[in-house]
Amino acid sequence: MKTLITLLSLIITTSTFAHPVIYKGGWAVSSANMADYSNNYVMYSLSHRFAIGADHWRFSDRTGNDNEMGLAKFNYLLWRANGENSQANIYLHGGVGVEDQNIEKKQTRGTFMGGAEIDWETRTLFTALKHYQFQNLSVSQARVGFSPKETPFDELQTWFMVQAMTINNLNDQVMITPMLRFFYHNVLWEMGSSTKGDWMLNLMVHY
Amino acid sequence: MKKNLLLGAALLMMTTGAFAKEINVKVSGMVCSMCAQGIEKKFKTDPSVKSVDVNLDNKLVKISTHEGKDVEDTLIKKYITEAGYNVAEITRQ
Repeated sequence: MKTLITLLSLIITTSTFAHPVIYKGGWAVSSANMADYSNNYVMYSLSHRFAIGADHWRFSDRTGNDNEMGLAKFNYLLWRANGENSQANIYLHGGVGVEDQNIEKKQTRGTFMGGAEIDWETRTLFTALKHYQFQNLSVSQARVGFSPKETPFDELQTWFMVQAMTINNLNDQVMITPMLRFFYHNVLWEMGSSTKGDWMLNLMVHY
Repeated sequence: MKKNLLLGAALLMMTTGAFAKEINVKVSGMVCSMCAQGIEKKFKTDPSVKSVDVNLDNKLVKISTHEGKDVEDTLIKKYITEAGYNVAEITRQ
């Protein structure tokens, strides 16, 4: 079973990260990495509302023990408001798969997850809230950001952001991470360092 | 008589769209350039489309068609919807 999870993670971790649901027929590939966790997924959007794919999570207790999950996942755009100068979204997430536990007790078992996220953005402001619920732990994340200018479509976009995140039943601490977000055409990357000195590196590609 | 027929045919071709078209589509919610890549990609798959220009400042997608080609409003709305946005207005030149 562990081999299956490792194989799945190897397939996925060679890729990158992306928004939950994109345009019909689009692939979203993502890699989000911090000291306590990493999340990698590949999603295919069947429509602008519904995407399916494979998702890999790793949670670390920083003593060399990891919990890893490989999931078959769906993302669903529940609601979208396209304003003249803004967009707001609510997404739902769900998945089933296999979990290889090494924190607290060692076991491999079937697992599932569910989640929701809401965001609102303009060309210069961004806010988002996320919550993912797993069997043994949960991830809550909030983000706010701004772009110093309204950048044209074909130019490099630069954003300043702050992320607050907690992994309940793992570290139970709120990690504050200021970061820089850049995107150019279909590639997005984020770099940051938490107030405790933990690095963060995220990469996202749509194609 | 023959001359008049040719002139009539030429006028008919002009009115039925034998020339390339410029279509401006006003799109709601288009605030993120990375997300709007889907709009460009959708239109570029259409063989009638020569070029697509996305302008976030005025929320406009400018479509140029090949000579004698057109993209129907229903198809434009389909592409924009599949990219996750709403069409506010379509104007043709």
